[in-house]
Amino acid sequence: MNAVEIRELSKNFGQKQALNGLNMTVPIGAIYGFIGENGSGKSTTEKIICGLLVPNGGEIKLYGEDYKNSDVRAKVACLIEAPGCFPNYSVWNNLMLQATNLGILNSEEEIRRVLKLVRMEGSASNKFKNCSLGMKQRIGIAMALIGSPKLLVLDEPINGLDVDGMRIMREILTDITKKGECTIIISSHVLGELEKVATHYGIVRGGKMIKEMTAEELEKDCPTYVALKTQDMLKTKALLDKKYRRVVEENEYLRVYDSVNSEEVVNYLCEFGVFVSEVKTDKISLEEYYVNLMNGKGGK
Amino acid sequence: MTTSNVKFESISLKTRIITMLKVDLRRMFTMPLFYIMVGVSAVIPVLVLVMTSMMAGTPSVDPVTGVETTMASFENVWQTLGSTSDSGAMMSMDLVGMCNINMIYFLIAILVCLFISDDFRSGYAKNLFAMRSKKTDYVISKTVVGVVGGVAMILGYFVGAMLGGGIASLSFEVVGATAGGIVACIFSKIFIVAVFVPIFVVMSVVAKQKSWLSILLSLGASMLLFTMIPMISPLDSTFLNVILCLAGGVLLSVGLGSISNVILQKTSLV
Repeated sequence: MNAVEIRELSKNFGQKQALNGLNMTVPIGAIYGFIGENGSGKSTTEKIICGLLVPNGGEIKLYGEDYKNSDVRAKVACLIEAPGCFPNYSVWNNLMLQATNLGILNSEEEIRRVLKLVRMEGSASNKFKNCSLGMKQRIGIAMALIGSPKLLVLDEPINGLDVDGMRIMREILTDITKKGECTIIISSHVLGELEKVATHYGIVRGGKMIKEMTAEELEKDCPTYVALKTQDMLKTKALLDKKYRRVVEENEYLRVYDSVNSEEVVNYLCEFGVFVSEVKTDKISLEEYYVNLMNGKGGK
Repeated sequence: MTTSNVKFESISLKTRIITMLKVDLRRMFTMPLFYIMVGVSAVIPVLVLVMTSMMAGTPSVDPVTGVETTMASFENVWQTLGSTSDSGAMMSMDLVGMCNINMIYFLIAILVCLFISDDFRSGYAKNLFAMRSKKTDYVISKTVVGVVGGVAMILGYFVGAMLGGGIASLSFEVVGATAGGIVACIFSKIFIVAVFVPIFVVMSVVAKQKSWLSILLSLGASMLLFTMIPMISPLDSTFLNVILCLAGGVLLSVGLGSISNVILQKTSLV
């Protein structure tokens, strides 16, 4: 059984087709990085999963049950666009409203638990409107975490956060999924950050899922390479082509994909009197993979 | 991970509605808008009674037609609640007919519409509908809280009218009605709140975060029903009027509540 299984999901906004037969599978306990361009259908999909938009067609199952089932809905929480908080209420009161709505008996204990999870124990009495963007996003996560949901849907929660805010958010997400009880769907354009936490990926384009993979599969598709710079790149490439099968010039560097041993490559070039001015071992990032995939290069 | 030890109440319809009512009542009683509206409802009759008493009998000449008129005023305090069924003034659109307790239904529209649109504007509705609540719970809760708010405003107006009547030295003598009739009239007015609030709830769930639209639609709908109020809740109301208003309130709450429910289920909530 998967946490989310979507088949042939479609959604139109007037004449515009936002989702066009989207399929999606999110295993239980995964942190599912949901990637795509603006307008590709990420937010629409997330809103449909959360019951906020009505689809035109398709099937959605959450934990094997229809997504409208009220027992299943009880396991879903979301942070879509912005936290749903009353600006003039304190953080504590906003969380208390959510806890009351959920019928939680030990609400104070539960609020303290989620505040600790999002590292905001000291800010409970602050008015929501006086909180910084990073704090607001964390409060949104805290709201969603009340009642320990099994499925957490986060729509671009790290957008606009500073470096420290992103680090804290990363830690929070890792903490939540540590026990494997919570599944997270997270959409973001900050692919570098997403790469650090996601265990699964789904890449969507034009309302269709074009690729789904695990982090391990991505790792395999994103090989490590030796990148180097010399004064005579043409001669260097010709020399490297003789020994290595895949040598590509990209971003002013020559990339040797068949080797991860920079010393070996440098020694080989030295034998031919080529002076290497810069050398590093690197791997294709998620961002690069995504850009290549979007440009029709198959990701690699 | 911090160990979660959450206990859920059993999710029966009764429990769901009670938990949501707790939240909505708490919100209602902590929002400044509620106190402002009740305050306005109490101040209006004081101002109307005092001002009209001061200006009573003042002649004014229409500059175009040259017709001389004198300023009408309330003859007794109970006129602020309505007219007797045999006075023929129930449908009156003069100052006395317009500035009585019936105008409060327009203010209730503003309170209910702003209260519900705040749910959608703040994103609170997203949290609510994503996680647990059935749409029926939401509609019932908003209707009940709207009625509570409306009743508070009606009572606010009543208190203001008594106070204004005292300040303006108006007669408290009951003319053409009995004390029982006045009590029945007040109860009828209270139950009519339950006729109007479901209309405002429907308009609010249609307009969602667009509070201006929900207020506009609600005021428009109220206009259509405004003339009905004095007819079904005259100053000399009987038990039958009370029952009629109660039945109307219950029927409209259920009927329009179902429509609100369908609207929430079939339309996008963001």
